[in-house]
Amino acid sequence: MGAAHSASEEVRELVGKTGFSSDQIEQLHRRFKQLSGDQPTIRKENFNNVPDLELNPIRSKIIRAFFDNRNLRKGSSGLADEINFEDFLTIMSYFRPIDTTMDEEQVQLCRKEKLRFLFHMYDSDSDGRITLEEYRNVVEELLSGNPHIEKESARSIADGAMMEAASVCVGQMEPDQVYEGITFDDFLKIWQGIDIETKMHVRFLNMETIALCH
Amino acid sequence: MEGAELAGKVLSTWLALVLGLILLPSAFGVSLGISEIYMRILVKTLEWATIRIEKGVPKESGLKNSASVGIIQRDESPMEKGLSGLRGRDFELSDVFYFSKKGLEAIVEDEVTQRFSSEELVSWNLLTRTNINFHYISLRLTMVWVLGVLVRYCVLLPLRFTLAFIGISLLVIGTTLVGQLPDSSLKNWLSELVHLTCCRICVRALSGTIHYHNKQYRPQKGGICVANHTSPIDVLILTTDGCYAMVGQVHGGLMGIIQRAMVKACPHVWFERSEMKDRHLVTKRLKEHIADKKKLPILIFPEGTCINNTSVMMFKKGSFEIGGTIHPVAIKYNPQFGDAFWNSSKYNMVSYLLRMMTSWAIVCDVWYMPPMTREEGEDAVQFANRVKSAIAVQGGLTELPWDGGLKRAKVKDTFKEEQQKNYSKMIVGNGSL
Repeated sequence: MGAAHSASEEVRELVGKTGFSSDQIEQLHRRFKQLSGDQPTIRKENFNNVPDLELNPIRSKIIRAFFDNRNLRKGSSGLADEINFEDFLTIMSYFRPIDTTMDEEQVQLCRKEKLRFLFHMYDSDSDGRITLEEYRNVVEELLSGNPHIEKESARSIADGAMMEAASVCVGQMEPDQVYEGITFDDFLKIWQGIDIETKMHVRFLNMETIALCH
Repeated sequence: MEGAELAGKVLSTWLALVLGLILLPSAFGVSLGISEIYMRILVKTLEWATIRIEKGVPKESGLKNSASVGIIQRDESPMEKGLSGLRGRDFELSDVFYFSKKGLEAIVEDEVTQRFSSEELVSWNLLTRTNINFHYISLRLTMVWVLGVLVRYCVLLPLRFTLAFIGISLLVIGTTLVGQLPDSSLKNWLSELVHLTCCRICVRALSGTIHYHNKQYRPQKGGICVANHTSPIDVLILTTDGCYAMVGQVHGGLMGIIQRAMVKACPHVWFERSEMKDRHLVTKRLKEHIADKKKLPILIFPEGTCINNTSVMMFKKGSFEIGGTIHPVAIKYNPQFGDAFWNSSKYNMVSYLLRMMTSWAIVCDVWYMPPMTREEGEDAVQFANRVKSAIAVQGGLTELPWDGGLKRAKVKDTFKEEQQKNYSKMIVGNGSL
């Protein structure tokens, strides 16, 4: 993003595609360069330099989400090896707060996109369903830091949660009916009517001109 | 012949001026007010420059907000609050929401890495090195900037270099001479005089303006002085107002010569590299030093590395295990006149000194604080945190629990497990497992 004119065209394009303002994009670009070590793309290893991220139990899933082709809108499965700045912004845009000036349809669309991002985090094999195994996997990761919790406890938590999800989605099940997994529609059903907006957005500050004072 | 004579005359007048206007007053601790006049002119010029920049910039592009405010507003609510709300039962799909949000916040802006690069300024201070966000404004401003460059590199730099050279040589020669004397109160008095004079000369070599606050709490003999660390200049700043016994590794080269000379005049505590690894040895020697009430207070920087003066990082507990009275000192630099932070991965010592000598000035505030001792039932870590908070509050710096060693190393596993343990306690604690 070096010199004047071609850069501002790129910025305008990005503003249109992702919805960030041009100031925010410039700030994020600086952060991108810091993470990538001034390279044009970021790889998974570059995220190892963020100390705050180390504390997060699901950090590997979060990092994976950055490279997930479904989130990058580049395919229906698989992982990319590296991402460029536009991809970086695409992932960031999932966390933009829902604009109150948008109409109802757009709000629903945004919500759906955010929930889809989360769905992809659970559904690691990209088959469109969150199976019991995948759910267990997430719970184990979340509880992984505590050496006192055994695998059994993690499993029972996951099983319990899965049963509850099944009852919401499918209703009462026959004794020999197997619940295959939570599909994306089921996922949406679980969250219907519940306000997830504050949970799933990061407040990007608006860079306004401020009066300079000594 | 003529040229050489002329050069000789210029050099001798130059030296005479330096001697009369700077060296002699430093020896007596008197100030002639030249640096005050310089600072006033500087402040007026920078104010003018800022007003020009404000007028010159068109409304839409605007000036960037200082990066210290950040791109995002982090959600500071604790984990319990963040996870509740959507929580109906023990474990919710929504917990992943919370953690992914936290993860993204960390990726966009992490508190730690930004402390290891220089603070960004809100308005330009006419130094090229801080000119990242600012564009060409007007001809007059550029002219002033060019004038500034000339003044800094052609007038100030040679002057400062001469002073630094004289200061360091005087220090080495002076302390060696004083070291020849037998131990007596005369020797102590002389060594103090030599130290103070040379430090004052060195501070003037950087055009330093230092304000000392609360001088009544200046560290006493037999105590330990603890301060936040921004650059090697911190040592100069503190020793200008009092004599300390320094602690550190023995270096080679110029630093080594200075260290060896200084230790002859008064007892500093220098360690060999191999000895530093042995913590008990270090603690023992320091304990011996403070047990002798006649010895000067020890100066320690518990952060262990240079931070960029916007925050205070974790204080290593080693210095707080020695016992004795701790005298905290807060040092805050004014970044408008020159950035004192030493980014050791970016600049080596020589280029750092060069940058210091070509800045406008080094302006800082030093606050001496009332002494603190370890209370009953408080362990070294808690004591260290208490002192750290006190320093952060006094200096107007933010407080971070992170270790300055993260500049070069990765996060310790124990830290990582803390957060995960908290979360798992929440889930399992509530449930019937």
